[in-house]
Amino acid sequence: MSVEAVARKDFRDAVRSRWLLGLAVLFVVIATAFMLIGARFLSASDAQTFSTSAILGFMNGGFTTGLVPLIALVVAHRAVVGERESGSLKLLLSLPHSRVDVVAGKVAGRTAAVGVPLFLGFLVPALVAALGPLQFAPLDYLGYLVLMVVLAAVYVAIAVGCSAVTSSGTVAVAAAVGVYFLFTVVLGGINNALPLVLGLGGGPSWLPLTVGELQTLLQVLNPTGAFKIVSREFLAGTLFAPPSVEQRFQQATEAAAVVMLGVWLVAPPLAGLARFERADL
Amino acid sequence: MTAISLSGVTKRYGDVVAVRDLDLTVESGEIYGFLGPNGAGKSTTINMLLDFVRPTTGSVDVLSMDAQREPTAVRRRIGVLPEGYDVYDRLTGRQHLAFAIESKDVSADPDALLDRVGLTGAGDRKAGGYSKGMRQRLVLGMSLVGDPELLILDEPSTGLDPEGAKEMREIVQREADRGTTVFFSSHVLGQVETVCDRVGIMRDGELVAEDSIEGLREAVDTGEQLVVTVDAASEDDLAAVRELDGVESVETDGGTVTVDCDAGAKTSVVGALEEAGVEVRDFTTEDTSLEDLFLHYAGEASYATAPATEVGE
Repeated sequence: MSVEAVARKDFRDAVRSRWLLGLAVLFVVIATAFMLIGARFLSASDAQTFSTSAILGFMNGGFTTGLVPLIALVVAHRAVVGERESGSLKLLLSLPHSRVDVVAGKVAGRTAAVGVPLFLGFLVPALVAALGPLQFAPLDYLGYLVLMVVLAAVYVAIAVGCSAVTSSGTVAVAAAVGVYFLFTVVLGGINNALPLVLGLGGGPSWLPLTVGELQTLLQVLNPTGAFKIVSREFLAGTLFAPPSVEQRFQQATEAAAVVMLGVWLVAPPLAGLARFERADL
Repeated sequence: MTAISLSGVTKRYGDVVAVRDLDLTVESGEIYGFLGPNGAGKSTTINMLLDFVRPTTGSVDVLSMDAQREPTAVRRRIGVLPEGYDVYDRLTGRQHLAFAIESKDVSADPDALLDRVGLTGAGDRKAGGYSKGMRQRLVLGMSLVGDPELLILDEPSTGLDPEGAKEMREIVQREADRGTTVFFSSHVLGQVETVCDRVGIMRDGELVAEDSIEGLREAVDTGEQLVVTVDAASEDDLAAVRELDGVESVETDGGTVTVDCDAGAKTSVVGALEEAGVEVRDFTTEDTSLEDLFLHYAGEASYATAPATEVGE
């Protein structure tokens, strides 16, 4: 399978850079620190009822949604354009791989390049958590790890898409920086500022939505926001919980967030491919 | 059967025409030398065969398949040494070959391939530490994976020392002996003279000549070069030689006299020198060098600006 060959080659290539080892170590340190600090803080109080899911929920805000997208963008933003600039793409395309194979293989390979260190990096903290005073919830822990890999995959997909569009590495860097700030800083900021601008409550009458609904909409459209919705509900054990009447909106929001993550996973590589397919190399 | 067929192919980059209305056919089993100075459109043409670059107009067929519609099917059956490539610095030579083997879905022995291209013992080193010549051998090795029907080699001798260039020619010859069609480009004629069945010369995006090397020589008919060893010759002594019919140019460095002339003018040249009081000790004749042939077609001015060993089009 051609995509697989490209992905494996790409992963092998990435694994040999010291990057990946460094990443795994970084994840071990960060996650272990969270577990230990969490355990220490909580041991004085009601630690027995406190689960690893609570710690992961704590990590969700800063580490996961701040660092994972950043790492994914750094690892993937030169995936295609880097090979185009160096000329190794000509080697790749001299073999029977299509340009579709190249883009798809890059998304898979670079996702693995972030996902494998994530998994390895969270093994040690899991042990710490299991042996420590925390209540270890293995399925939730594993599920959250998978979700983190999905988040990484989404940002890898965005970065590879940008990387396939341009023939300039500089543009690809700028795009990655722009994507990061747009999704983690700017959109979040706008969302927070909305009630101040439009007023609390129902908002201005020309707006067909309430301010709250508009905020939810913005959050769902943003891949980081969509991930936050899904991961929060997952850790709380209420993802796709059977809705009562008043929870219908919540349920729809969760479904929309899942769909949006899928869209972000697929649309950027396809858009990049549309350009890349027509490009003269 | 036809291995390569381009018809009416034009490639424009904005206002610049890189290839203009090119018709070119390479028959199966041929060794075809694709010649021309840097910037003549050779690499653009090859890139269109590989679907790296799309023609503005015209059609490109490789092994009777449309290069643009079925690029992967084409590349499954050919071996390529592209121009302006780079290797994967962090992967070893053997991993490169293993990747090519996996990509082509064939079974082959990486070590045998390493031997074949003269990289025995270097397979476990990272390709980032290879010299230019070793990289060239490695990629040639990748192109040979799966014993392709057609080899497309863009400036294969670039970066190789004379010994390496000779081995490259031997590899090409061996492949051709097995029945492989070989299409390769070069801006240095010495490399193709001995191996090509047919050559095409590109200049400014157009195919200006196409024939066997013998055929081209006859067509150009720039005659022969006569090198006369003498005791001493001055410019004055050459005046009489210059007057002769069929003599194009005469030069001397004192000890030898070099004359470009028609084959039939040789004896009268020697006679004229002796008449002028020069003692002729020896003389030899040489065919017009391919370099001269090349300059005749490709244009001296454009060739002179091209560095002899660098590529980059």
